[in-house]
Amino acid sequence: MTYEVAHGPAKTPRRARGVLARLADVSETRFWAYYLLLPSLVVILAVVLYPTLWGIGLSFREMRLNRLDLGTGFVGLKHYRAMIEDPVFWLALRNTVVWTVGAAVGELALGLAAALLLNRELPGFRAASVLILLPWFLPNVVAGHMWALMLDPRLGVINDMLVRVGVLNVYKAWFADPDTALASALVVEVWHGFPFFALLLLAGLKAIPNDLYEAAAIDGAGAVKQFRYVTWPQLRTIVVAAVVLRVISLVNSPDIILILTGGGPGRSTLLLSLHAFLKVNKEFNFGYGSAIAVVLFVLLMGFSYLYVRLSNVMRD
Amino acid sequence: MVHRRYLRTMSGRKRVGDVLAMAAVALIVLFAVFPIVWAFLISLKPEEDIVTATLTYIPRRVTFENYVAIWTRSNFPTLISNSAVVTLMTVAICTVIGTLASYAVARYRFVGRREMMMFYLVVRMFPAVMIIIPLFILMRGLGLLDSRLGLALAYTTFLLPVFIWMMKGFFEAVPNDLEDAARIDGASRIGAMVRVVLPLVVGGLVATAVFVAIGAWNEFLFALMLTTSTGSRTWPVGLQLMVGEFQLPWGSLAAGGIISILPVMVLFALMQRAMVRGLTAGAVKS
Repeated sequence: MTYEVAHGPAKTPRRARGVLARLADVSETRFWAYYLLLPSLVVILAVVLYPTLWGIGLSFREMRLNRLDLGTGFVGLKHYRAMIEDPVFWLALRNTVVWTVGAAVGELALGLAAALLLNRELPGFRAASVLILLPWFLPNVVAGHMWALMLDPRLGVINDMLVRVGVLNVYKAWFADPDTALASALVVEVWHGFPFFALLLLAGLKAIPNDLYEAAAIDGAGAVKQFRYVTWPQLRTIVVAAVVLRVISLVNSPDIILILTGGGPGRSTLLLSLHAFLKVNKEFNFGYGSAIAVVLFVLLMGFSYLYVRLSNVMRD
Repeated sequence: MVHRRYLRTMSGRKRVGDVLAMAAVALIVLFAVFPIVWAFLISLKPEEDIVTATLTYIPRRVTFENYVAIWTRSNFPTLISNSAVVTLMTVAICTVIGTLASYAVARYRFVGRREMMMFYLVVRMFPAVMIIIPLFILMRGLGLLDSRLGLALAYTTFLLPVFIWMMKGFFEAVPNDLEDAARIDGASRIGAMVRVVLPLVVGGLVATAVFVAIGAWNEFLFALMLTTSTGSRTWPVGLQLMVGEFQLPWGSLAAGGIISILPVMVLFALMQRAMVRGLTAGAVKS
């Protein structure tokens, strides 16, 4: 490279050809595949791996941007010990489990129902299978506020409908009541996330060969047995993969709760990811926030490993 | 006779089943699109028709004043243009770097290939908060905090792995013979890649780029943490702040939401077929 720069700008066309020819030569070497991967590796190392390792290190150190007098010294397991004694941590952990399990089960159930229905190829179903994907592509901010408008305690359309139908007597402040806040947020999350399952499961259903169903029908299997012995075993791999991916993002991203409730009322909808984010964003306690994030990461790794292992064991 | 009657009841039962299925699908579609329709209806209503004693469903008077208000009386245009710049930068970074990487893992068998793909997958498991904290400190040190380039780099953390996985599927769908033929005709590896394979995956490349663009356009948490001024703030953060600080009127909020999801809906409508193919290719093959 430097050699060619020395030729100066006068020979630009020849130099350009030279670079291309050289690139072509390089592409014939044994390491070509690695050269292609290099830029992506560098970027991921720089923006993911390096920050992550640093974040793990940070969880053992003191760092408060609003208390610089404390310094940034090594404090060992201080943050982790504080976490164990912090009742808010345990509450947030419990909320995270309820939130993740509730949303994953709800989204899988609705996504599976939608996929099974749409697999029948009736008129209009192709358009329907595109329309139901829309929520998944909508930004959290807009999704959250659309639902906040619909669930509003004074002017919400859902309150209006429920009162008209007779389910409710008076308008309800869904997000102000600690008993309904998390459940209401779950409805929003299921709306936002079920298309992901519908998309993957519908593709999975379309890939099941028809012979399997014909063979099952000849053996006298009805709709339920066909589902149990043909559809479900064929979908399993996709379901496992989809659940792992979905659980990862449910545990990791506090966006929709942050927008809908900010963790309240009280701490009834506080998730661990939100707890960590607020520690950093509001209290500037980077060390403690990192420690919570590390715990989240370890829990997720443990879950993913166990879940994939267990679902393999049960298949054998 | 028995046989025929059996057939007739079967088709009758099937017809009932079809009607039930269509009703159920209609309900699910309603659930999916109603919030969008409702926000759109609110955005068309004048304020006095929104804040009423009895709810009006269909706007009595259609007005565009909410759109004019959010666009002219707030910094919404700046927010939108910041988002556009960040999105374009993210797409550019992911497209250049991700295309090379996905081509390598789709086409070549090399030591560590499986591990590379696993690595790109595991990277997604890192909690956003865990990355945000050190990124904040790092970018502050490099002067990238509160800059659009810094935000675009942060977005590659979760969008580059997605790009590589999706693009790998599109590359694998191109038969190897085409490159082999080009190679026999004397093309170099890079020549075969650029002149033979790339033109064939343009559709997939655009779909993948659109998917990444939507992800960057919608992102909220990184932007909330890594931007502090209107010079780089994106629309999701700006809109959220307007709701919190200025008690944004409903009509304006709905109008802002509709404006900001418009590009998403248009791109999605244009590219949905290729995007669905790219998103599901990996899942179905295994």
